[in-house]
Amino acid sequence: MTPDEKELLLLEKTALEFARKELAPHRRENDAHPFGPFFSPVLDKAFQLDFFHALPPEEAGGLDQGICAFSVLLESLCREDASLGAILFSNACAQEIMLAAKQAGELKQIAEKFCGVTDCLIAFPAFNNPSEIDHIAQATYKNDGYLISGAVDFLTMGGMARHGLIPARLTHGKTDDFSWFLVDLTDSRVTKSEMILSLGLRGCPAADVVFDHAPARLMGDVGNGAACFKMMSEKMNLAAAAMSCGVMKGSFDEALGYSKNRMQGGKKIIDWTEFQMLLANMALQIEMASLALKSARQKACEKTRGWQNSGLAVAAVIQKEACDVTSAGIQALGGVGYMKDFGQEKRFRDAQQLQALLGLAPLKRINYLRRKMGQRDLSYGKD
Amino acid sequence: MALSKSEQTAWLGQEPKFDDIIQSVTAASKMPKGLIRETQEVAALARKFNHEVVKPMRLELDRKVQENPDYLPHELVKKANEWGLFTLWIPKAFGGKGYNMPSFSFFAEEISSCCTAVANLIGVHYLGVATLMATWNAPVIFRVLNDVLDGEKTGRPCLISLALTEPAAGTDIEDVDLMDKGTISCHAQRVDGGYNVNGEKVFISNGHLSTWHMLFSFAHLEKPSENLVMLAVKTGMKGFSFGRMERKMGQKSCPASELVFRDCHVPDELVCLCPEDAEKLEKGPRKTAMQLIDYIFSASRAAVCAFGAGVARGAYQEALEFASRTNVCGKPLINHEWAQSMLAQMYGNVAVARLAYVESNHANSLRGMYKWLQFKPFFYFLKWMPQKLSRTFIHYLLNRPLGTWMLRKAHCDFQTQDDIDQTSGWASLAKFTGADMGVKNAQMALELMGQAGLRHDHVVEKHLRDARLIQIYEGTNQLNRLNLFKCLIAPSLPPAKMFDE
Repeated sequence: MTPDEKELLLLEKTALEFARKELAPHRRENDAHPFGPFFSPVLDKAFQLDFFHALPPEEAGGLDQGICAFSVLLESLCREDASLGAILFSNACAQEIMLAAKQAGELKQIAEKFCGVTDCLIAFPAFNNPSEIDHIAQATYKNDGYLISGAVDFLTMGGMARHGLIPARLTHGKTDDFSWFLVDLTDSRVTKSEMILSLGLRGCPAADVVFDHAPARLMGDVGNGAACFKMMSEKMNLAAAAMSCGVMKGSFDEALGYSKNRMQGGKKIIDWTEFQMLLANMALQIEMASLALKSARQKACEKTRGWQNSGLAVAAVIQKEACDVTSAGIQALGGVGYMKDFGQEKRFRDAQQLQALLGLAPLKRINYLRRKMGQRDLSYGKD
Repeated sequence: MALSKSEQTAWLGQEPKFDDIIQSVTAASKMPKGLIRETQEVAALARKFNHEVVKPMRLELDRKVQENPDYLPHELVKKANEWGLFTLWIPKAFGGKGYNMPSFSFFAEEISSCCTAVANLIGVHYLGVATLMATWNAPVIFRVLNDVLDGEKTGRPCLISLALTEPAAGTDIEDVDLMDKGTISCHAQRVDGGYNVNGEKVFISNGHLSTWHMLFSFAHLEKPSENLVMLAVKTGMKGFSFGRMERKMGQKSCPASELVFRDCHVPDELVCLCPEDAEKLEKGPRKTAMQLIDYIFSASRAAVCAFGAGVARGAYQEALEFASRTNVCGKPLINHEWAQSMLAQMYGNVAVARLAYVESNHANSLRGMYKWLQFKPFFYFLKWMPQKLSRTFIHYLLNRPLGTWMLRKAHCDFQTQDDIDQTSGWASLAKFTGADMGVKNAQMALELMGQAGLRHDHVVEKHLRDARLIQIYEGTNQLNRLNLFKCLIAPSLPPAKMFDE
């Protein structure tokens, strides 16, 4: 085992311990949001443990742990509950876009200026690829600054974070391409909806946010939004895949544990071969996902040629597999798998929602092929 | 080359027998035309009910139960009662409106395309009715169904639930081969004047909303398969109480309840079927218990398949509507070939699910619960017979021991093992097919809609949560696959044994 591998193993163990201690016991209550309290104390602990600063480089105020370590962290957390992982993921997407836009200083400033988790969080529309959408917010340049108008739907942590990184097109720009803008969400010209009741990841709430000439800072060059998004997603696909992989593993753990105790027809359900086949299929899918993820991580760490597309491939495949595995995880428990007393139904919902990260799932698959063929991604105004 | 009649019969009789692999060909000529008209009537009624009641309520109710898991949708039940939906499929001979039961599946598909929870809320009531009917104990049937009919007149809804599943026995209680090996605990002890019941039932749909509960209990727990006691228990009876309401992922407007029995005395007049009754039937207690379970599920699983077809259709319709109004990558989503292909697949999934429940219902019409009701002379006699005559003549005839004997003879003794296998096997096929199509389409709709599909107000995420339960209730999909093997494959393979690992 290399020192790097040992370090990752240690990180995995620590994150798992955190998840089992802080997330698992309160999974059901945390999932009750927006009808129950938000799990702020856990978020604070995660913040104190520097989970939110794990990915960015030191010049951006981070710990420079790298995408491999970050994906291991998310995978371990998501075994118990994917909501915290999704918050970290969404925030990291914003960080990565700002880094791609060469805004490390801005990131560092946020990290140094604020000490509370919500002040440091950057809300981000993590379930969209702006290149796929025609109607996004508009930015106008006025008096040496930009003003944003329009709406951003489903802004992850939009109702809580102090800052938001949002895509917008310039009203009188030379390009149709969008750009990224950093907005203070506490500004009076920003209106947030109530927390959106979503399918899954309810501990990672989103809100619809409307901007009415809200001041914003351009991140990077005008019209460079799609390029920044692509750079970010190439890296973050690994993290997205890891989250789904973690959810799958959690589902299997619970199914296996249950089957060793539950009786049917006079014996433990694990002793029926039909049930073994159900679990075996789950285990095989997880094994394949883990191997693929490990390989993609390695390629990313070594910057092997084509690592970016490998990340996209594992994300697209593992996210879909996770939907199937978590569904089998419910089935393994029968009626109780559908109930909130166990974690399976939440994992099923979370897995479905994770599949929508960073845009439409079918387009991610098509774009994988297009990139392989050296073509541009399907996107607004390009085809 | 023309085949002689005997040659044709011989070829068609080879496995798989032609009559077994397709029900509709045989059923079509036997189907009364009035049945089609009734089906169209109830489908139209369902669409109107969706438009005026379900659609305006479904999201609000779902949200309310998420906010307060103990919330009960009384306003919805009241509306359904006002619309006459709890008596529509009660046979005319027992005072109901007498619509043909297969038409319920079409009704269920329509309602489920809008909200599966509402379809289940209405469907579970008829599961209770079907269970009651399956005992063919005419006096108890009259007594319980009279309450339902009165409930419609008085505006105080009276629903019937089926209390089957136990805390330690889900699948085990649905097959006699598993019953005796399982941990069944709902005990009905024979006492003077009736039975004393102790035990719990769980996941009972509509439990908290129902007035009557069709209870599966057992006189001797060491051999439940031969000691089935079916009882009608009324809410409020001493020793019977409601436990907790389950916190489900979906179908939130249809509560799932725990029922608790502690020395609950059920008098003789509410005993629907006891081991002594079963002894008198040709098949004996064990086979009768299985026949009864198959009889009920053969009808209900077709309807559950219709829930699947409905939710698959609802998801498809939402995705189609989204694709029509949303631009993706600069052009309408509906004009992307990949999206068209997905939508076509979803359309196909709905059709497959629909065909499955239609076939299952044909099997029931040819060989199961609906056989006599859809025998053309009976069908038209019951359809056009004045209600008054029905209430006097048929009530008089059936409401005495001879009536119960006749009904049991016709429905229990005359049903052959081959009939049971065909109806039960097709029902299982329909059940897991419909359930799978429902989940599949909801997942595809989410893929197609991305972020928009995740929101509660866009309905699709609710369709997925609702659909997922269909793969579990009325026997898990795994059990139904095994039941299909048992009923449609194993009979022609003598070495095949079930649950014998």
